[in-house]
Amino acid sequence: MDRGDFMPKVKVYSTPTCPWCHRAKEFLNEIKVEFEDINVAEDQKAAEEMVDKSGQRGVPVIEIDGEIIVGFNPDAIKKALKMEE
Amino acid sequence: MLDTVIIGAGIAGLTAAIYASRKRMQFEIVSTNFGGQMMESGEVLNYPGIKKSTGAGLASTMDKQMKFNNVNVKLETVKEIKKEGSNFAVVTGKNTYDTRSVIIASVAGPRELNVPGENEYKNKGVTYCAICDGPLFADMDVAVIGGGNAALESVDFLLNIAKKIYLINIEEKLIAHEYLQERIQGQEKVEVISKAATKEILGNGKMVTGLKYEQDGEEKEIKVGGVFVEIGRVPNTDFVKSLLKLDEHKHILIDCTTHTSVPGIFAAGDCASGHEYQYVIAAGQGCMALIKAARYLASKKD
Repeated sequence: MDRGDFMPKVKVYSTPTCPWCHRAKEFLNEIKVEFEDINVAEDQKAAEEMVDKSGQRGVPVIEIDGEIIVGFNPDAIKKALKMEE
Repeated sequence: MLDTVIIGAGIAGLTAAIYASRKRMQFEIVSTNFGGQMMESGEVLNYPGIKKSTGAGLASTMDKQMKFNNVNVKLETVKEIKKEGSNFAVVTGKNTYDTRSVIIASVAGPRELNVPGENEYKNKGVTYCAICDGPLFADMDVAVIGGGNAALESVDFLLNIAKKIYLINIEEKLIAHEYLQERIQGQEKVEVISKAATKEILGNGKMVTGLKYEQDGEEKEIKVGGVFVEIGRVPNTDFVKSLLKLDEHKHILIDCTTHTSVPGIFAAGDCASGHEYQYVIAAGQGCMALIKAARYLASKKD
């Protein structure tokens, strides 16, 4: 899929033990979207940032150009990336 | 017209799909997500042929196994199964599949407490997946609700993360496997509170701050930042409640060879009556359901 020069800034807040986080990252890899992986189990400051931004304490949290998606939701990720089928 | 539609991609549905593929049946497997409860459980230490793995590890292996068998799980949620003569229409949000038989392996999900504050603070301190969200409760006081395997696995997982762990058990004794009980015995940061019914989740409008429970007729309160609910499972069967006979806990009633109350529909795994939520049982039932469906189809006229 050609997205032209549209390169969104994607962050994944995750924990190493969270299966849905792995799934979300695998999915981003599959659709060839680069992302920054932030381990909130180790980075306490990032964990607080995630809680502030999302208003909740669950992972994964995926941030796409400022838009916050809580949980692994492929349809919502595609929509935020403007990749709807 | 398909031979069968498999609903659910937990271990039961995926096992049925492996057999369906190898029997060269015309089939689809549809599921809200891939992996079912495998994705939310920690260690796997009792699956024959696998010495030690995790739920996610098992799901990952099964993902590869699906690719090897050319099985493509369609991520769609089934809304309804319609009976059309002796055949069926499986209706999802996206498609309708006409099929001669159906295998329901629609898994189970976490049972909720149904107390005030639970919904309000869902993900805001209330969680149903310790291995997912546990690390976000570092150095905090937390409560785990339950007394079974999942509850004790959660306590075990939180031992190196949380500051203090209250285990709130509604029963007098823990019912978890003995090896799990051994792991938490003598742990200083674990306090087991027995015969305690959780009554309310408390919060400050943003996040959880505590919970209320009742013990011996007395109401008590503890301050915690996290509440891990591990009080069992609810079968995901609402979409077939008017079509199939269910038991009193909403499991699909099956006989010992996975037949449901409707000929042509088979059920397997945690959504079905059996009440023992084990990977190996789900796998066995998924296999049984597919083979019984194939035998049923062989003698079916249309």
